[in-house]
Amino acid sequence: MELKEKHAHRVALLSAVELSPEELDAILGEIDDLERVVAELEEFGKDTPWISLQAQPAFPKDE
Amino acid sequence: MSDRDIVDTSLTDLSWLIAAKKISSVEAAGEALARLDQLEPQLNAFITVPREQAIARAKTADEEIASGDYRGPLHGVPVTIKDMFETVGVRTTGASKILIDWIPDRDSALVERLNTAGAIIIGKTNLDEFGHGGTSTLSHFGPVHNPWDIKRIAGGSSGGSAAAVAAGIGPLSYGTETGSSVRRPASYCGVTGFKPTFGIISRHGSFRGAWSQDHVGLFARSVQDIVLGLDPVAGYDVRDPASVQQETPQYGARLDGNVKGLKVAVLRKFLDSVTPEVKSAFEAAIKALAGAGCEIINFDIPELCYAAMTSNLTSSAESAGMNRRWFREHYRDFVPHVARGIAVGMAITASEYLTVQRARQRIREAVRAGYEKIDVIASPTTSRVAPLLAEGLRGNGDDTRHASTNHSNMLRFPSMLGLPGCSVPIGISPEGMPIGMQLIGKWFGDQTVLNTAAAFQSATDWHTHRPKI
Repeated sequence: MELKEKHAHRVALLSAVELSPEELDAILGEIDDLERVVAELEEFGKDTPWISLQAQPAFPKDE
Repeated sequence: MSDRDIVDTSLTDLSWLIAAKKISSVEAAGEALARLDQLEPQLNAFITVPREQAIARAKTADEEIASGDYRGPLHGVPVTIKDMFETVGVRTTGASKILIDWIPDRDSALVERLNTAGAIIIGKTNLDEFGHGGTSTLSHFGPVHNPWDIKRIAGGSSGGSAAAVAAGIGPLSYGTETGSSVRRPASYCGVTGFKPTFGIISRHGSFRGAWSQDHVGLFARSVQDIVLGLDPVAGYDVRDPASVQQETPQYGARLDGNVKGLKVAVLRKFLDSVTPEVKSAFEAAIKALAGAGCEIINFDIPELCYAAMTSNLTSSAESAGMNRRWFREHYRDFVPHVARGIAVGMAITASEYLTVQRARQRIREAVRAGYEKIDVIASPTTSRVAPLLAEGLRGNGDDTRHASTNHSNMLRFPSMLGLPGCSVPIGISPEGMPIGMQLIGKWFGDQTVLNTAAAFQSATDWHTHRPKI
């Protein structure tokens, strides 16, 4: 399967920017590597609690 | 005082001379600008130089000081800032063609505080486009050259700031760091670079590389100078969601080189990818810290092997999120390598980003547990001295794609976790290039980091070496 076909869902995320075939190949090559990296990190972090991204609102300290 | 003396004068001394009216702010700014004019053809360290505004403000500073209205150590002192910070009436490009003519109508929080302190901004320094890089070669305005050897890179992304301080174009410069963009160029250019704990200095009005990793940091010739530049700009700002609510710090007043009994950890397995001359200088630096009273501990945090890849994916996704609109509308205007990086970030899915954040949490927890046993982590700042421009983007020797003991992990984890870090010069390589050591503290251990760096600089003179440019 060609990279472009394999990564069709990724290409759809590129905001319809027109890329040359060479540019697309380079980007998809990196994305191929990215999938391996994410898989490694998924295994590495599997027993870790999901973090909360909730942030406290900013407000001045009480006087 | 001769012109050369002013160029070589530390921030601490220059500040005193201006306050004592031994020299004027106009003289100091004029000499810094003359030095800039002399060296800029070789260094390409600046994008915009607001010369007339700087001289006018220096005149005002002189009048204020003469009338007894002295604002503090930065009053009348010429400083430079990375072209990431918005400045009213002065173009702010981020080293990008996209903003080549953009003139903001507001100041960034950093610039507001510098203006309040009476500092004189003489130039806006060159960088990798919007901070996306580690070489300062990915600029629409061309690469920054290292003052120690203009065939070499200055490091990035705050390369113009580091090069300016190293070359004596002002004693103080402000930059930003998302991965290693203060510490790396500080090391490559032989100056002291510090980035505080995440949230200590407001990022309001500066371009972002990655919101959860971006810091403001600074460059000077010594830690003593760093704290003079840090105190006036640190503190809470409601406009930056990451800003920390705390009392206004006084790092300068609390600077104390007594580090007796401080536990300094060395993570030896990350030294395997370091060049022999860097390793040798680092071992000597560790001995100097031991001589100053630190307890040196061989330590390990195995989870740090995953730091560079976690940091890299985090910043890639976040920078894509922040650049979505420009990516769509200005893809061809980006520096090509930067555009490609954003494209890869655009293709990262939300679930992948969150998976990466889970890995980041594991590393954060491991480092937190580690700091229960130690006070500071010491390592070479970079694995090698500044590479030649001809080596391209691979010259830094980074590996951000594999779990490994590559030194990139030591460079990337402090910004990813928001820890305070200081790079200090520790030697000169056989080819005449500076070598740096970084000291990384626990969250809000900024003072400990600064004190350790000050103790080192009291015991050694590497920070006094200057390039022969």
